[in-house]
Amino acid sequence: MKAFLQNTWKHRAHVVMALPVFLVLFFIMYVPMAGLTMAFKDYDFTKGIWGSPWCELDNFKFLVASKSIFLNMTKNTIMYYVIFTAVGTFLNIVLAIAIDQFVFKRLAKAMQTIMIIPVFISYAAVQFIVYAFISTDTGILNNTFGISTRFYSTASLWPLILTIVKIWNSVGYGSVLYMSVLAGIDTELYEAAQIDGANKWKQIWHITLPALIPMITVMLLLSVGNIMRSDTGLFYQVTRNSGQLYSTTQVIDSYVLNAIFKSSNFGFTAATSFFQSVVGLLLMLLSNGLVRKIAPENALF
Amino acid sequence: MGKKKGNAADLLPSKKEKKGFGQYVLGFFLLLYTLFCGLPILLVFIAAFTDEKAISQNGFSFFPEKWSMAGINSVLRYGRQLLTSYGVTIFVTVVGTLIGLLIMSMFAYAISRPEFKLAKFLSVFLLIPMLFNGGQLSGYIIFTSYYHLKDSLLLLILPLCVSTMNVIILRTYIVNSIPSELMEAAKIDGAGEYRTFFQITLPLMKPSLAAVGFMMATAYWNDWQNAMLYITSDNKKPLQLLLVNIQKSIEFLLNNSNVPASARAAMGGTIPQYSSTMATVLVVIGPIMIVYPFFQKYFVKGLTVGSVKG
Repeated sequence: MKAFLQNTWKHRAHVVMALPVFLVLFFIMYVPMAGLTMAFKDYDFTKGIWGSPWCELDNFKFLVASKSIFLNMTKNTIMYYVIFTAVGTFLNIVLAIAIDQFVFKRLAKAMQTIMIIPVFISYAAVQFIVYAFISTDTGILNNTFGISTRFYSTASLWPLILTIVKIWNSVGYGSVLYMSVLAGIDTELYEAAQIDGANKWKQIWHITLPALIPMITVMLLLSVGNIMRSDTGLFYQVTRNSGQLYSTTQVIDSYVLNAIFKSSNFGFTAATSFFQSVVGLLLMLLSNGLVRKIAPENALF
Repeated sequence: MGKKKGNAADLLPSKKEKKGFGQYVLGFFLLLYTLFCGLPILLVFIAAFTDEKAISQNGFSFFPEKWSMAGINSVLRYGRQLLTSYGVTIFVTVVGTLIGLLIMSMFAYAISRPEFKLAKFLSVFLLIPMLFNGGQLSGYIIFTSYYHLKDSLLLLILPLCVSTMNVIILRTYIVNSIPSELMEAAKIDGAGEYRTFFQITLPLMKPSLAAVGFMMATAYWNDWQNAMLYITSDNKKPLQLLLVNIQKSIEFLLNNSNVPASARAAMGGTIPQYSSTMATVLVVIGPIMIVYPFFQKYFVKGLTVGSVKG
């Protein structure tokens, strides 16, 4: 212990350097963790989180009692995670391989620049672009096909719409990571395969894909830890927070955001938040454990 | 992956391939996807310069019947507010990114020093927020009722200032790409800890700082959520909140058919219209799109660096 303190004192310059981040993390991340205890309290605005009386599991009883709301947003959260991860990973890889195989490199780079741009546009702006395509009276889709679909009140269409917006937003960017792996493949492998008479498809199947598998595995496993968190802007902004769409678009994060704006139902919301954080923690530990087994160098801890 | 560091920008060395028929098919599909990504953005440009009547009668179109500068002009109608919001967004983005980069690289440097025993604890302290967090609700209550920071720019800056992943990227870069002999040599020459860091390490971290910095700047520029939660006064509204407010006033008008005509007339100056809305979107997303191509190579590198842990 004494040696430890001496070491710390000796390197007090390091302590000073680490201090600002330590403080920011403490006040911005750690204190709100303690705030999660309000899930077990009968929150009273005037008494604050710590002053409010305990109410044991009452809030969670609401959660169970309100089956439909809670189940619906949990279901949606997980559903979109599965769709986005499956479709997204597949397209990331296809796009990465396609750009990698394309021999007109200059053109490929120019196209890639455009493909990546959408990720830098906030959802607050994206929703106006989406609106231009699907609004009932002025939308391009309805006008082009001469139909009058009411997109903003037809819940069943939104899993598709949100998936398309998500692809638009993130596939170009997501493929960059895979391309960096492809760039690292030894070209002699391809040359040797060519000499052995393997065509393009065979080369992709036997050389390119196997080279990507470690990265794919790691990315998938790491993403498991984030099942409970969603891209809030996508579900809150792009849907214009339309109540008629909640059955297919309400996720936990957007529900909590709504509850804050309406400052209603804090007990229920706190219980939901608590559920989200705890399940998130368990999934994170699980996913990291799996990565540790398969590819220890990529584990987070 | 490890040692094979590649740069997606220059890709594979030329594979001496025939530019056969297959290449053109591939090119066609890539072009289609590029259009899918690019056309919606092009639409923003076109709609911003389309005549208002053309949109309300025939809908949005890539080939408008009539062009007009009215949309852009009416954005200037926001005048002061737009200027203020630009100022707020730029201030938050620049200050947040610079502070974040500085304190995160100091932290990354400190925990990367093998002789520093406290580093283990600090690493764990850094990691926990990634695994477990208090969520939006308790954050909101703590920040507003306990810190009393409602309507303070600090809440636009601090929550996005430090991220575990970014510190890990910076630390990885220090460990993998900056020879520790350099730091040791500096110390032997009599440089103190601070001098070693600021004069030797920090300048060498440039590529990783550029990558992380650009990602941070984008996050700050695009942040609507914290602004919507915490900012109330007009002179602190960032650009994204302007967009959100436009959307809200549309909603208000749509959902209240009983808004009296006089009230609508009174709101005349602020009733958002199609082309002016798109012009606002253009003004908000424009700067990022102009700056991004210059940073493309850095964040491609940064992503690669981040994926290779030390």
